[in-house]
Amino acid sequence: MSIPDSTLNPEAVRHAERSMRSQRIKLHAGIFITLILLWEFGSRIGWLDPLFYPRPSNIMRSFWLIYVQNGNVWYHLYATMSLVFMGWIGGSILGVGLGALVGFNSLLRRFLKPYVIVLEATPRIAVAPLLIAALGFGAGSKIAIIMLVCFFAPFINTLSGVINVDEDRLELFRSMRASKMQVLRKLVFPDAIPIIMAGERLALTAALSGALVAEFIQRDEGIGSLILVYTRNLNMASAFSCIFTLTILGFLIFKGMEKIDHYVAFWKYENGRERVSAKRRAAMSQVGGIR
Amino acid sequence: MSAQKLPTSFWIFDFIFKVLPHLILFSLIIGLWEMAVSYGMITSIIIPRPSRIGSAIVKLYITEGTIYRHFFITLTESVVGFLIGASVAISLAVCSSLSENFKRYVIPYAVVLNVTPGIALTPVIIAWFGYGMGSKIALAAIISFFPIFVNTLTGLVQVDEDREELFQSLGATNYQVFSKFRVPAALPLMFAGLKIGLTTALIGAVVAEFAQATDGVGVLMSRFSFQLNMAASLATLLSMTLIGLLLFYTMEFLDDRIVFWRRENRRAAASRARARVWKKQLDNT
Amino acid sequence: MQSQAADKEVVVTGQAVGKTFSDGSVIALQDANFNIKRGSFVSLVGPSGCGKSTLLRLISGLITATSGEIAVHGTKVSGPRPDISMMFQKATLLEWRTALENVLLPTEIAGTPTRADKNRALDLLKLVGLEDFAFSFPAQLSGGMQQRVALARLLQTGADILLLDEPFGALDEFTREHLNMELMRIVEEVGATTIFVTHNIAEAIFLADQVVVMTSRPGRMAKIVDVDLERPRSLSLQTSVAFNKLVEEVRETLGEM
Repeated sequence: MSIPDSTLNPEAVRHAERSMRSQRIKLHAGIFITLILLWEFGSRIGWLDPLFYPRPSNIMRSFWLIYVQNGNVWYHLYATMSLVFMGWIGGSILGVGLGALVGFNSLLRRFLKPYVIVLEATPRIAVAPLLIAALGFGAGSKIAIIMLVCFFAPFINTLSGVINVDEDRLELFRSMRASKMQVLRKLVFPDAIPIIMAGERLALTAALSGALVAEFIQRDEGIGSLILVYTRNLNMASAFSCIFTLTILGFLIFKGMEKIDHYVAFWKYENGRERVSAKRRAAMSQVGGIR
Repeated sequence: MSAQKLPTSFWIFDFIFKVLPHLILFSLIIGLWEMAVSYGMITSIIIPRPSRIGSAIVKLYITEGTIYRHFFITLTESVVGFLIGASVAISLAVCSSLSENFKRYVIPYAVVLNVTPGIALTPVIIAWFGYGMGSKIALAAIISFFPIFVNTLTGLVQVDEDREELFQSLGATNYQVFSKFRVPAALPLMFAGLKIGLTTALIGAVVAEFAQATDGVGVLMSRFSFQLNMAASLATLLSMTLIGLLLFYTMEFLDDRIVFWRRENRRAAASRARARVWKKQLDNT
Repeated sequence: MQSQAADKEVVVTGQAVGKTFSDGSVIALQDANFNIKRGSFVSLVGPSGCGKSTLLRLISGLITATSGEIAVHGTKVSGPRPDISMMFQKATLLEWRTALENVLLPTEIAGTPTRADKNRALDLLKLVGLEDFAFSFPAQLSGGMQQRVALARLLQTGADILLLDEPFGALDEFTREHLNMELMRIVEEVGATTIFVTHNIAEAIFLADQVVVMTSRPGRMAKIVDVDLERPRSLSLQTSVAFNKLVEEVRETLGEM
């Protein structure tokens, strides 16, 4: 029984909800700012050890330094992210490709199963030193590490997506005498898209982690190296600025992937469904079909 | 259900039949690999000979037995870190599910923690917790926190109108609804989160070891790699796999036992166990 | 409402009961009046939107009336109470509990189950024919069996007012018929007052002493049809002339509105 039982007028309810939400945001912001001020205060008095709690004002200053004054963070961001994307795309292509291949071939699947289990249990990021030692320092080994790290999720997810097509739907296609290619294009592929997208999100996150680990070891360039260097020099404020940079970056990636998901796997979302529905209706009416 | 047990010889045959093809394939791969390296088709620096890896394994695990200490250290780091991360995550998730206000205040910070790549904190964690096991445990705990938190919370707040109505019709108190319905209903998702958390805890421990440590399989692997002793490095990687498998199957076992109602064979066994317990409390069965 | 046994006391009453949702824009039920005597079996039948489920939930105390008053055993209904027990369309068993433990759930919630309570649960499972499945889990039971467990759970508290909301609607016809027979047998044995919601006219008449025909837009009680057929009822009754006359009467009432 989900019928709402309200004696309030709906317009008033909506207005109340909106003002409640803005009140809440103000409260959140208020608490946050208070915490920051307490932190700053505690640091100045000397209660808080600057090693553990770098002063907020210092953090803000270092933000200014690395972004504007010295501007050194931009290069390192670029260095890290270019490798991340290259490795992500490479690892994804491999992962999705092999996942699909193995998914369609049950014999291959049977024989690969033990190796997949072993691969899954091993922390793939652990192979970083090995790859660096084998392939030498430099971008090459970094990309290799990133690709290795973000290969697995797309592989497993694509495999799963391809295998787990609903039996009833396969039967439907068979009853329409669809060719293998048609089944692939019209059923298997669209059906697997949501789960592949989920794998890609995981892969991108893993790629970033992989890049950071590679940089920790190589210590040449990139945000990871920056964090390492700043921490070594006990410049915690700058280290934190870099970490917060990654937070912002992570958030942007999260939102970006969400947007892509809304576009690619639109049928999972209410507004996505409406949007595409309207678009298709418009397209149809242009051809003189439905009005 | 047939009352006849199949002979043991059947099961032995069945096992061999299943495992043999894999053994053959494996031997084939190793054999080809060995030949490829011997005849110089692959440089032995980057990809060592299987036989060299084999002797490294023997040395590490049997003759010198150096690996066990490191194995144990990394295992401890992962498990302790996981337990800490899991306790905090589950506590926060439970409190968040019970209090809407608490949830609202915790969620923004949890989201920030999630979006930040935990690995980025490694140098800072090491600066804070020093070079010992503490920093590895801390990183493992921090990284394993979020998947456990979000899965447990999702499990606890999931809406099931029919069950909610049932409990309401029985006049259940909030505590009863929580303990008799929400908690068991949340277990499957919680365990999914715990599995992920355990895996990430291992990753945290190993990465922290790379950055700075003297003991642990991560350190060992790193050291061997930079000595260009690839064979030993891979042999050490094997131990990481073993840790991973150990952790995974432990969690699978717990999941199987605690969330027993999801699997057919466990249901039957649990059913029998319950029957035994209950029959003592009943008069006439 | 006229009842068979005019000497039985009235246990459930409703006066001008109404229920609106969404601040008055949806009238789920309007001006329902009823007096139900102890031990009688009343069916509520009608199309979707006629308010039958709403009325049932009002009597159970799950929702409160916007107008009018409902009283059970003389006291006003203000929330779920121990003398009223309800069964839903979905069995809603807890999949981590055995059948026996599911039956015991109401008692657990009301307090700590005694040995007697536990034995009662087992006896109820025997009553519904699931003695051998007392320790099975819901996933091991068929839909019909799950509903039987829910039926046993309904009876566990010993409440004498039973409310059932289309409990067998999701089952196949054979199982449904069988369970209807079982229900009548059990209700007779236990001496409960039963209110049964269904959209199936034949089922409504077959089970009940009175059929309340409800119509929609707005939901209201249109007519009360007395079912004077003798008990115990047998399935062959459904082909008799008297039975079909009643079916026609109900259909006419529904068709008129």
